[in-house]
Amino acid sequence: MPDSAKNIPNTTIGSAVPVQEGLFNYPLADGERPALKGNRCIQCGKSFFPKRTVCPECFVSGQMEEIELERQGVIYASTVVRVSSPTGIKAPYAYGYVDLPSNQLRVFALFTGADPGSFVPGRKVELVLEAISKDREGNTVIGYKFKPVAG
Amino acid sequence: MRDVYIVGAGMTQFGKHLERSLRDLGREACLLALKDAGIRPKDVEAGYCGNALAPAIQGETGVGQNVFWEVGISGIPIVNMENACASGSTALREGWMAVAGGFYDVVMVIGVEKAVMPKGTMLNVGAGELETKLGEVFPGYFATIAQKHMERFGTTRGQMAQVSVKNHIHGALNPYAQFQKKFTVEEVLNSPMIADPLTLFSCCPNSDGAAALILCSKEKANKANSRAIRLAASVLATGTYDNQRDITNWEVEIRAAQQAYKMASLGPEDLDVVEVHDAFTICEILHYEGLGLCPLGEGGRLIDEKATELGGRIPVNPSGGLLSKGHPVGASGVAQVVEIVWHLRGEAGERQVQGARVGLADMMGGNKEGDTRACTVHILVKE
Repeated sequence: MPDSAKNIPNTTIGSAVPVQEGLFNYPLADGERPALKGNRCIQCGKSFFPKRTVCPECFVSGQMEEIELERQGVIYASTVVRVSSPTGIKAPYAYGYVDLPSNQLRVFALFTGADPGSFVPGRKVELVLEAISKDREGNTVIGYKFKPVAG
Repeated sequence: MRDVYIVGAGMTQFGKHLERSLRDLGREACLLALKDAGIRPKDVEAGYCGNALAPAIQGETGVGQNVFWEVGISGIPIVNMENACASGSTALREGWMAVAGGFYDVVMVIGVEKAVMPKGTMLNVGAGELETKLGEVFPGYFATIAQKHMERFGTTRGQMAQVSVKNHIHGALNPYAQFQKKFTVEEVLNSPMIADPLTLFSCCPNSDGAAALILCSKEKANKANSRAIRLAASVLATGTYDNQRDITNWEVEIRAAQQAYKMASLGPEDLDVVEVHDAFTICEILHYEGLGLCPLGEGGRLIDEKATELGGRIPVNPSGGLLSKGHPVGASGVAQVVEIVWHLRGEAGERQVQGARVGLADMMGGNKEGDTRACTVHILVKE
């Protein structure tokens, strides 16, 4: 079992739903590693996450191809939030922006798996899929987060 | 394009108005502006209303029509504008365009908001955005900007706290301000941490309030009163959402400011008084740099030099800013311009910037993909 899959809660009560369609595959197939799904304009090569229907530079329809973003990145900026979020995340929690250099993308993400204050700029992190909240129907909402790279 | 003048300005006190409605607050501001201009409601040819949160908080839409009807204005074109914190200043720009373009000679602009929430609840705005669904909150975005500004330029927590200290000193001189209390740097730093490195007193409050302006053409201004102030530049710009941009400045603000300076044929060196969107202390430091009051990276030094205090080289937020005056979201952009009008007329009381002839108001609205959705810059000149 991939290490990150341990973070996915047992969802026997209610069901688990992704925070937004199209960001990542969920549930994962046997042996599938979590990955963010973006897309790229085949004309100019620019990548996007979340996916865009049309490249805002080239603006030619039918020119976008889906890509899988790299699983590891480097923290660009971060903060520790000391008040609980309107979506129900208990304080303190950490989030920030993660640079994915080979995709030339920066993504907003929650951090997990270590002391919230330890997610400083420059730290290497890797993608996991985890519960982030409960929706009104009692479903567990699954989002993506980044945790420290082991070792 | 015609010259546009502001002949009427008025606002309510900002703060908690739990017993008052949007219409009630709006009526007060409108009547003050009409009285100030010496014109009658039936002279107003078009109305522009900035409001950001009434559909979400009060479940009310069409606030503009409701407020204008409170003062007997109907039958004319009335437009409701929503651009987050820049809603009011966007309404102002629409009014400016209408007069400058020759469509109308007299228009009214109002910003109104009731944003004070019951204790323990948070604004649920931007709920459709992925970042918000994942758990982002407003102070957190600005906290990441503060972190990068500190990392790149050596800006300190003390410098950021000093912004709050300064604006509360100014706010204590402003009877329209929500808070009339001064704080020390230590009190700001030791207040509860909200999002590292921003503490509670580094964040503006949610507020209720309204502000109104009357704009007119030069011919009408000459008739209305002798205290007309020329609106020399009005600019609205939108972020580019460049995914990997340097977040220690807002390119959209630099661009909007340059456009405004060009339009007014003035530069930052000509300014006597400035109001900026200090929703969080770090914002004011970025605005110093974005508006060209100092070079990029030297905003912290500018606050150290006391240049932006009343009596300094270029006073910023003499009203107390959002931090002390309060932030009724849709009203703030109009209230900034009301404040500048009062300074240019010499009517700002104890907080008056002596001899002020040129003022600037800078507002930002909403976050999108780590960038700003809307930025307005207005320059006012006393002739």
